[in-house]
Amino acid sequence: MSAELLAASGIEAGYGKVQVLWGAGLSVQDGETVVLLGANGAGKTSLLKVLMGLIPLWRGALQFAGLDMAHLRTDRRVRAGLAYMSEIGCFPGLTVEENIRIGGQFVASAELGRRMKELYDIFPAIAERRDTLASSLSGGQRKMLGIAKALAGRPKLLIMDEPSAGLSPRLVAEVIDVLGRLGGQGLSLLIAEQNVNFLSLADRVYTLDGGRIGFTGSVAEMHDNDALRRAYFGLK
Amino acid sequence: MLAYAILAGLIFGLYFSLVGLGLNLVFGVMRIVNLAHGDVLMLGAFAAFWLFKLFGLHPVLSIFAVFAVFVAVGWPLYYLVVPRLLRAKDPEMLSIIFFFGLSQVIVALASIAFGSSERSIPGRVLGSGPYQILGQSFPAAWVVTGGVSALAVAFVYLYLYRTRLGYVTRAVMVHREEALATGIDVHRVSAIAFGIGLALSGIAGVFAPFMLGSVTPAMGVDINITSFAVIVVGSLGNPLGTVLGGIAYGISLMFMQTYFSSWANLLPYLLLITILLVRPSGLLGRKVRSA
Repeated sequence: MSAELLAASGIEAGYGKVQVLWGAGLSVQDGETVVLLGANGAGKTSLLKVLMGLIPLWRGALQFAGLDMAHLRTDRRVRAGLAYMSEIGCFPGLTVEENIRIGGQFVASAELGRRMKELYDIFPAIAERRDTLASSLSGGQRKMLGIAKALAGRPKLLIMDEPSAGLSPRLVAEVIDVLGRLGGQGLSLLIAEQNVNFLSLADRVYTLDGGRIGFTGSVAEMHDNDALRRAYFGLK
Repeated sequence: MLAYAILAGLIFGLYFSLVGLGLNLVFGVMRIVNLAHGDVLMLGAFAAFWLFKLFGLHPVLSIFAVFAVFVAVGWPLYYLVVPRLLRAKDPEMLSIIFFFGLSQVIVALASIAFGSSERSIPGRVLGSGPYQILGQSFPAAWVVTGGVSALAVAFVYLYLYRTRLGYVTRAVMVHREEALATGIDVHRVSAIAFGIGLALSGIAGVFAPFMLGSVTPAMGVDINITSFAVIVVGSLGNPLGTVLGGIAYGISLMFMQTYFSSWANLLPYLLLITILLVRPSGLLGRKVRSA
């Protein structure tokens, strides 16, 4: 049985005095792909930000690779092996190469050079444009850059916030294909999405609604649940 | 006369680039407006004056002392002040009010400490005799100041574009939230930029006696106006845009002094008003504004 990489339980957090997460919890095993499914406003981004230390944890427990992460700063969490790809994903005013270098900010220079070469092999479309500003890339290329930037530090777990946002169905399929290959190589993934196409990648699924975790299980188990089928797949 | 005005404008332009550089670096990284910028420059000028008067230290050597001390003061000052300002609903406005107050305190303390009389360092300290550039003759102090200013600009370029610290500093400039999410220690990066920004202002102050005339505790107000003109003309928030703004300002100033000398003092205000009305994003425009 694979080791537990991320374990969050009883997460309560919010903005100012407004609470948005109510005892949410999830876990990710080593090498596993987990999809966190929820509608707009369900609290997906907030939960991911708590995992990354971008908004404070009010109550609850958070462990990553055996370390208590509850009150660690974001940069310490990144050093420990967490990587986060926000909806923006990259720095538009910097070049492709600068973005990747920043993603690998904690990697030694020689190692970063090797890592960049590997990433350019995985993402040839951005390799051709390494000296251009990220703002001049297409939406799909920006997503690929966001993934490359997040992978530059060789994270143990890549946390992604709506990688499908702003992409056409064809580009969503490309992103899913890339993530599928990365997952197949053993990278652990936690993907927050409202696009059910990403369930094709999932070893396990969590649904989030109103800041609370609803369903936990496999995609097949989700299909067997009438209420979930109606809510997420639009099926009767 | 035209060639002289252009070349002198370039020399002064390099110096005005240095004058505005620290202010623009701090604004670019932190989005706070340091209205005490001119007073920090004044402190650098007094530091150079006293180091020269008491110890005979050459102004070019006093750069290193000023740089070290101002970085050492700026770093903790950042942690004391800026995170609190950034937590406010309107950090830019709050920073204007805070640094205006700080400016008044610095001026009052400097007046108590140094008195209000004008101080200067003889121009010959930076070299004897005029230098010939393209057939035009310039005081040695101007040429040395222009050279040091160019080196300071090159230092900032290397820092921002050729070091890891520079990459992450520019990332903070581009998008502070994304920088946090990427694991950049935003406060550490900002504190270093704040310290370097103050130190650049201090170094500009070292050469103020040679380029701006005598030094007084109240000189900061005019320097603030000039600095804002320079960075708004270049590109607000883009440190290297300051160079373009500085050179545009320097050449304009020399033309005014050469052909319309009685109007020259109006230049910073005219430039500010014109650029804000015609091209508010600065000469370099929005594309480079954030990095």
